Amino acid sequence: MSKPKFSRKLLAIPYGIFLVLYVIIPLVLIIIYAFTENVESNPHFVYRGEGYRISFENALSFFGNISNINTFIVSIFTGFLNTVICLLIGYPIAYILAKKEYKFSFLVVILFIMPMWINFVLRTSATREMFYGFKEITGIDITGAKYPFFATMVGMVYNYLPFTILPLYSTMTKMNRSLIEASMDLGATPVQTFVKTIIPMTMPGIISAANMVFMPTMSSFVISDVMGERQFALIGNIIQTYFDQAMWHLGSFFALTMLVIILVSMFLTRNVEKEENARGGLW
Amino acid sequence: MKRISFVLLSLVLIFTLTSCNTKEEVRTLRIYNWQDYIDDGTMEEGATSMLDDFAEYYYETYGEKIEVIYDTFETNESMFNTLKTGKTTYDLVCPSEYMIMRMIKADMLIPFEEGATPTYDKYASKYIQNLFKNTPVSNGGSMADYAKGYMWGTVGLVYDPEYVTEEEITTWEIMWNPKYKGMVSSKDSIRDTYIPGVMHVYLDELEALRADYLNGDITSNEYTAKINEIMNRCDDETLDKVLDHLQDLKSNLFGFEVDSGKTDIVNGKIRIQLAWSGDAVYSMSLAEEEDDKILAFSVPQEGSNIWFDGWVMPKGADTVLAQMFVDYVSRPENAVRNMNMVGYTSAIAGQEVFDEISDWYDESVELEDGSFDTTDLIPYDLNYFFEGTLDEDCDGIIYTSSLSGQLYTQYPDLGTVERCAIMQDFGVQNNKVIEMWASVKAVNLPIWVTIGFFVIVAGIFALVIVYTVFNKRKFRKNKR
Repeated sequence: MSKPKFSRKLLAIPYGIFLVLYVIIPLVLIIIYAFTENVESNPHFVYRGEGYRISFENALSFFGNISNINTFIVSIFTGFLNTVICLLIGYPIAYILAKKEYKFSFLVVILFIMPMWINFVLRTSATREMFYGFKEITGIDITGAKYPFFATMVGMVYNYLPFTILPLYSTMTKMNRSLIEASMDLGATPVQTFVKTIIPMTMPGIISAANMVFMPTMSSFVISDVMGERQFALIGNIIQTYFDQAMWHLGSFFALTMLVIILVSMFLTRNVEKEENARGGLW
Repeated sequence: MKRISFVLLSLVLIFTLTSCNTKEEVRTLRIYNWQDYIDDGTMEEGATSMLDDFAEYYYETYGEKIEVIYDTFETNESMFNTLKTGKTTYDLVCPSEYMIMRMIKADMLIPFEEGATPTYDKYASKYIQNLFKNTPVSNGGSMADYAKGYMWGTVGLVYDPEYVTEEEITTWEIMWNPKYKGMVSSKDSIRDTYIPGVMHVYLDELEALRADYLNGDITSNEYTAKINEIMNRCDDETLDKVLDHLQDLKSNLFGFEVDSGKTDIVNGKIRIQLAWSGDAVYSMSLAEEEDDKILAFSVPQEGSNIWFDGWVMPKGADTVLAQMFVDYVSRPENAVRNMNMVGYTSAIAGQEVFDEISDWYDESVELEDGSFDTTDLIPYDLNYFFEGTLDEDCDGIIYTSSLSGQLYTQYPDLGTVERCAIMQDFGVQNNKVIEMWASVKAVNLPIWVTIGFFVIVAGIFALVIVYTVFNKRKFRKNKR
C-alpha cells in the first residue's frame, strides 16, 4: 500500500460531506415531498419510496386558500419590518462603536452580544413575563394577548439586533474614514456624505445584516408562539402545524415557497451589489 | 479503502452477533408510552419502578429473567411515525383513542386474546369496559378487542370562581362571551379546540336535545349517541361553519397554549382555560398549595369529549408478555400507584382505588360513636364507575362540599359522562380539518391588503428590471 499523499483538496472533504448530508439531500427531499402526494390518502407515512405519485395537489391547496397567501404576506412584512427596525437601531450603534477614538467599543459590542449566550427560548419567555409584569405595575396592557403583532415584533427585534450590529460593526471598522473627510472637504452636506459615501461603503454589511435577519424572521416560530400567545402565525408556524400533524407534503411545499423567497431576495441583493460596482466604476 | 470497509463490516458483524446472543438469553418487553405516565419510582426515596416490579414478579412466578425496555413519546403522531418507519418494534404501546382507531384501520394491531387479562376484566370499571365495547372500529369489531384502558378523562373548562359565575360557565358560549375578552385560553391543537368549535356551531340543536332528554322524551343512551353524532361531524359544510366560529373565538381569546395555560390560570393571566381533566387537577392543586386559591372545573351542559389512552399491541409483539404486563398494571393497588404519580384518572376501579380517592376527597368527619357526620355535605355517587368491584359493605358514595372541585374533575358524575362522547379520528377529512385549523391560526387580512401587496411587489420587480436594463445601456455608452 502506497503512502497516501496529502493534498489541500482533502481539507474540503469534511465540509463536502456536511454539504451533501445537511444541505443537498434535505433540499432534494423537500422538493420531492412538495410535488408528491400519498396514494393511500393517508398522510401518516414517512417516506419509504412506495405508494407515492407526483402531484400538484399541494400547490393547489397552497394557492387555493387565501389564508395561506395572507400568512405569506404577513411573514414577508414582518421580516421586512424587523430588518428595517434592526438596521435603524443597529446602524448608529455600530457606527459609534466603530470609531477608533471610542476606547471601550469592544466591551460594548460584547455587551450587545452577551444575551445571545443565553438560550433564546428562555430569553423570549422572560420577555413575555416582562410584558405581564409591566401590565401589573402600570396597568397599561401591551401584552401579546391583546396585541400579538406588537409583542412579536418586540421579541423579534430583541432577538435579531445582535445579528445586525455584528456584521455592520465589522464592515465599519474596515471602512476608510479618510473618504468621509474627503467628501466633507469637497463641500458635501452631512446628509449627502451619509447617503453617497457612508452608505455605499457599508453596503456589504447592510446586505449581510439584512440576510441574517429577513429570512430567519420569516421562518421562526418560537418567538411568535411565545410572544403572540400563538395568535400570530408566520410561515414557520404554519409549517410546524403541518409537520406536527405528519402532513409532510403540504408542509414541504410551504418550505419550498420560502426557498423561492430566498432566491428572489438573493436576486435583488445581487442587483444592488452590481449597481454599487457600476457606480464605483463611474467615480 | 478496502481495509476500512473490511473493518467496518467486521464491526457490524460483531454487533449483530452480540445482540443476537443477548436476545436469546433474556426475553424483553418493549413498552412505548407517554412521558411521565407510569410510576417510575421517582416519587420518593426508596420507591421502586413499576417496570422493575413487573420484572421481579415475572421472575418469581416463572423463574425466568426478563428485561423491560421503556421508551416515551410526546405526541400520538410522532409515536405513529416511529412505528410506521419500522426501525424499532414494540410489544406494548399506549396511544389515545383516535390513534388506536387509526392504527386499527392501518392494520397495525393484534387483538387481545379472550381471557388473557383476568385482572383487567375483573377490576376495570364496567363503565369503561362498556365504553370500549360500544366504540366500533373500522374492521367491524369493537375497541374492546384491541385495547385495554389505562387512563381516561374529560375535556372541560377550568375557571376562577372569583371572576366567573357557575351559571355562565355551564355553556361553551362563555368562550365567545365578550365580557371575558382576553381572559380565555384554548388549546393549540385542533382535536381539542375543535370540541368547543363544533359544539358552538350546533348549540341550538344541542340545547333542544338536552331539553328532550330532561323531559324524558329520549333515553340516556339515545342522548349520548346523538351527542356523539353531533360532535363527530366534520363534513365540508360543518368545517366551513367551524372555521367561522373559531375565527370569531380567536378574536375573543387570550391566546392558544400547549403547556403554559396550566400555570397561567394559577397566576391569574387567564380566568378560563380549556383543559383536559388531568391537567385541570394539576392546576387546581397547584393553586391551592401555592396561592391558597380555589379553581373550579366545569364540563358544559351541551356536552363534551371523553378521552382515554389504552394499551395496544402492534404487529410482531410478544403478546404473552404484553398481556401479562397489562394485567399487572390493572391491579387496583398498581392503579393507585400510577394515579398518585401521574395525576390522571385510572380506568381501573376496585376497592383500593375507591379507598384512595375517599381518602383524598371525603370530607365527612368520624364521630366518637364510629358513625360519620355528613351534615352540609353532598353525597357524590360513583357507583356507575365502581359498580361490581367494591366490597359489599361499601356504598360507593363520597361526601363532598363542592361539585366543581377536584373530585368532580377526576371522577365526573353520571350526569356528566352521559353527555360526553368519544371523538373519532377525522378519517378522510383529516387533511381538510388540519388545513382549516391552519386557516384559523393564520392572520386574517382584508382583501385589499392582499391585492395591494401583489401590486407593490410587481411594481418593485418592474423597477428593478427597468433599472438593470437602463444601467447596462448606460454602462455600454460609457464604454464607447
